[in-house]
Amino acid sequence: MLASTALQFTGLDTSTLLSLFWIGFIMITFFYQTRLQSYLALNDISRGLNKLKVMKDKARKEAIDYLVNVGKATNDPAQRVDQFLDYVTIMPVDTDPAGVMGKIDHVVTTNNDRVRAEVGALLDQKNPVTVSISENLLEVATSLNQIHKIVRHFYLLGKKTNSYFTLVQLQMLMPMIIQEADALLNAVDSFKMGQPVGDGIGPTVVSRFMTGKEKRVVAKDTVMAVTEYKGRKLYVLKADGPMAYVGQPGVAIQKIIGEMGVKPSAIVMIDAALKLEGEKTGEIAEGVGAAIGGIGVEKFQIEEAATRAKVPLYAILVKQSILEAITVMRKEIAEAADKVSQVLNRIIEEKTKEGDEVVVAGIGNTLGVAQ
Amino acid sequence: MSSVPGPDRKSKLLVYTIEECPVCGQKTKRAFAVGDYVTKDGSKCSKCSNTTRVSLVYAESSKPSS
Repeated sequence: MLASTALQFTGLDTSTLLSLFWIGFIMITFFYQTRLQSYLALNDISRGLNKLKVMKDKARKEAIDYLVNVGKATNDPAQRVDQFLDYVTIMPVDTDPAGVMGKIDHVVTTNNDRVRAEVGALLDQKNPVTVSISENLLEVATSLNQIHKIVRHFYLLGKKTNSYFTLVQLQMLMPMIIQEADALLNAVDSFKMGQPVGDGIGPTVVSRFMTGKEKRVVAKDTVMAVTEYKGRKLYVLKADGPMAYVGQPGVAIQKIIGEMGVKPSAIVMIDAALKLEGEKTGEIAEGVGAAIGGIGVEKFQIEEAATRAKVPLYAILVKQSILEAITVMRKEIAEAADKVSQVLNRIIEEKTKEGDEVVVAGIGNTLGVAQ
Repeated sequence: MSSVPGPDRKSKLLVYTIEECPVCGQKTKRAFAVGDYVTKDGSKCSKCSNTTRVSLVYAESSKPSS
């Protein structure tokens, strides 16, 4: 009825009207397409941002609960934890890069010392495992808090400036950001229970060489034992477990080669490595170079020491995803320990001869792995 | 038993402790208990009665029972 009235009024037939409708529709989508996509992106990011908020609140709550229930915090730690979450580490200036690694090391060490001192002061329970787990839980909560803040910043900035490209880039990155945040949140359970994480495969392998041997502290949170394998003298080191430490393997190797005067024929490092999509968890890769992640200070120290002493660096890597690296060790990774030991023995046999000295370093978080 | 959500959300991960006898090599698998760590002394070996040692702690995927 209405259509026929419109047709009578305008004097146009149905096909002309339909064509006009489509032309109008195409014009609108042509001119307002980016606005429409910005609106969809905003909705998508907003949903992700809500998820991130839930995650960071949960991590904060879990950290506080652990401090209160297990760490027996003397006072309500909520306020201190909130201050802790916003604490910043200012990296040194790198426009004049000479000596920058020393400066980064200094800043990072200062931060680590501060974290331990503050956590120690909060807790009545002084068990080093509990203190180290508390540190890790607070680090997880801090990381999630930072991720949430950064995503929220770009979300609000994109919204405020109506910047299509800012919003679309953020929208495309959101699935990966959520995946990383999810991995961090999952790590909380493993840390609370004191279970070894996937990253602890290096320490797990070298702990077999250290059991029953005399241990000495060679760097902060780092222990070393001397043992023998087929006529070679092995200097085996890892972070001090079963605390959730990563230690200072860089300082330790520098000390072994420098102060202790050891002249190794090889340095073999065992570490977890992030797998590429399609690679199998627990796959072993061999290579050369310093197998260690982190901010780069330890890697720099190890490379410096090895280059100065002209010692070849060998790496054994166990592949795993970011989620597997920071959550309880999967069976596939744990079962790789035997194969890694075989590879390590082969490298020692092939690359060194009887009477040689070899440094073996198990790199990674040593939670739940003593020696 | 300690369990955490599995990567696919439908399964969950059950955490086990493996105790190994340093003398006869006998391995025993049991549920993880808080306080377990690699190299910790375990129970007596069922085969030769020597003290076992925790050699591994790992998680295995398991389908939910309900």
